[in-house]
Amino acid sequence: MDLQEFRTGLDAWLDEHEPELAAGFGPEVSFDAEMAHLSKVKRMTFDAGWMRWGWPERVGGLGGSTLMRAYLGEALAARDMIEPGIYSMTEVLAPTMIGFARPELAAEMVPRLLRGDETWCQGFSEPSTGSNLGSLACRARRDGDAWRVSGQKVWTSLAQYAHRCVLLTRTGPPESGSRGITALFVDMDSPGITVRPIRALHGRDEFCEVFFDDVRVPDDRRLGEVDGGWAIAMDLLPYERSTSLWHRSAYLRQRLGHLLASAPEGALDPAELGEVVQMAFAFHARSRATQHRMARGERLGPETSIDKVLLATTEQAVFDLVAGAVPAAVALGGDADGDRWRTGFLYSRAATIYGGSAEIQRDIIARRLLDLGDGR
Amino acid sequence: MMDADTAELLAQSLERAFRNTSGKEVEAALEEVGWREALDEEGAAVVPLLFARQGEANATSGALDDVLTSALGLPTGPGTAFVLPEFGAYAPPGSLHDGDLALQGLGSARMAAADRAVVLATRPDGALSAVVVDTGEVEVRPIGGVDPRLGLCAVGGRHVSATGETPVTPAAWDAALAVGRVALAHELIGASRTMLRLAREHALTRVQFGKPIAAFQAVRHRLAECLVAIDSAEAAAGAAIGADSEVSPLLAGMAKAVAGRNARTVARHCQQVLAGVGFTDEHDFHRYFRRVLTLDGLLGDARTLTRALGEELLRERRLPAAPPL
Repeated sequence: MDLQEFRTGLDAWLDEHEPELAAGFGPEVSFDAEMAHLSKVKRMTFDAGWMRWGWPERVGGLGGSTLMRAYLGEALAARDMIEPGIYSMTEVLAPTMIGFARPELAAEMVPRLLRGDETWCQGFSEPSTGSNLGSLACRARRDGDAWRVSGQKVWTSLAQYAHRCVLLTRTGPPESGSRGITALFVDMDSPGITVRPIRALHGRDEFCEVFFDDVRVPDDRRLGEVDGGWAIAMDLLPYERSTSLWHRSAYLRQRLGHLLASAPEGALDPAELGEVVQMAFAFHARSRATQHRMARGERLGPETSIDKVLLATTEQAVFDLVAGAVPAAVALGGDADGDRWRTGFLYSRAATIYGGSAEIQRDIIARRLLDLGDGR
Repeated sequence: MMDADTAELLAQSLERAFRNTSGKEVEAALEEVGWREALDEEGAAVVPLLFARQGEANATSGALDDVLTSALGLPTGPGTAFVLPEFGAYAPPGSLHDGDLALQGLGSARMAAADRAVVLATRPDGALSAVVVDTGEVEVRPIGGVDPRLGLCAVGGRHVSATGETPVTPAAWDAALAVGRVALAHELIGASRTMLRLAREHALTRVQFGKPIAAFQAVRHRLAECLVAIDSAEAAAGAAIGADSEVSPLLAGMAKAVAGRNARTVARHCQQVLAGVGFTDEHDFHRYFRRVLTLDGLLGDARTLTRALGEELLRERRLPAAPPL
């Protein structure tokens, strides 16, 4: 299957299934309902084959170019069938499993994630470990053929729904920094795990605190080498800044298109509108080039920090435009449209914070792309 | 379509050509490289190769004249210049009444030595014509301005007689503007890259408080911001040229606006990092700063293009399609 064939076939299929796939919006749509809808969309697209293209056959995929994955998320976001933030987590978690889990474990688990049978989360950040990931403290201690995990994670998206967690733990001495980290694939129903959702600014319990109290994790659930977890994190973070951002670009274009179609006469200043549309175009062009590099098998690295800076800047510019054009809808709107503008606007404030803050991205660009030294 | 090796060879030759200091020598070197033949054969695909390097080198040539002349399907040559619209704008610089041409526009460094000039002119019924005139018949006045090394001149005249006239459809003029804008976008990006290189070198060698200023986050983040600005402008300019070498007028206009706006961002940050030395004529930075201020004004500046885009979008009330994956 080539991309053109995939696009034509998928578009027709989405047209046909529009009513079942359309997402609901508005103050009465709970996050539980949003998650249930996401699972439904993943299941339907998996069963029809679309979700399987672009993933290796050994994990239940149908093979072919990763561009098909990029297009599937783009098409679903452009048609308002998914919220890309929660949809695109697959793009980060599945490649980690494919790259680092035992082949049998990856083959068993990845299809469940792709099909929406399971939700997974990513346990990286900790209360004392935000931008400085190498300082994490959540401890894993060897216990025969297993590990015992004790510690705390925070900002763990969707942990309250998650069946599994890709967890970074400290296995070396406390001062071992990035050298003493090990990644584990943890069942979230293991005894000793407590999840506390955190209500976020945009009104969703999207993130959680996760507490581990002597949680047993078999060693066959280890991802990669003992003390080799840093390589996994470094390998995975560029994914967080590639296909997921392409999906987000489609979402921003959808929002911008809706604003343009619905803003009252005189609400949009042509110069401001023109500038935001140009920014969205430049971001789209950059992210598109990244998708093609990935599809050619190029290894993604620190240059994806440019993509992340552009996403964050563009997303905030789009919603600043929204807040200027339809201020009453954002501040007061009680209908589905107003609720969605408000949620989107509030969530956009996090774009310069999550997934590596704006400052960390610029640090990476300065050190790795401009070769300015380590800043000391 | 040019293969990667051919493109690389051409790029290297162009880079050498731009090491010449005078516009005349650059023109001769480009002639030797066979730039116009490459343009005829490959179309827009070779435009980024040349203009990025011209921008990086702070060089000047008549390559933009060639690009615009060729896009209108007219014969190019070292003696043929193209009259550019007035600064900041993109309306055709000429108007034609009963074979009588009036014009007001800008000329590149080639204009002074050219025998002929191509003028895009509007007829009373609104139709467009590409008119060829003898440069002896028009007034050519050098402009010093902020960037004297660019060799820009003011071109004007009344009652100028045409030696040739070709009808031009609005779509053909849009297409010519598009390829010219992509060229200028790449030249702005090239100039931006050199500004960043100069600021980076300075940051790594200038020591204050016992360490290179590149160690300070305020400096590092300014330079990082420059790379973001440059790479996004380059992605936009790249996306404006399709796989078939066709240039989208809409995307080219957006790419030129992004490149012009981002080049000013780069100039602002680099100048701050270069500090005092970047404010002198003794350091090369100023040449690039002067260049981007001027290039932004050719074929529509960022401000004008951005407002025009916004107005067009508000008329259509639809977001135009972006290039598919």
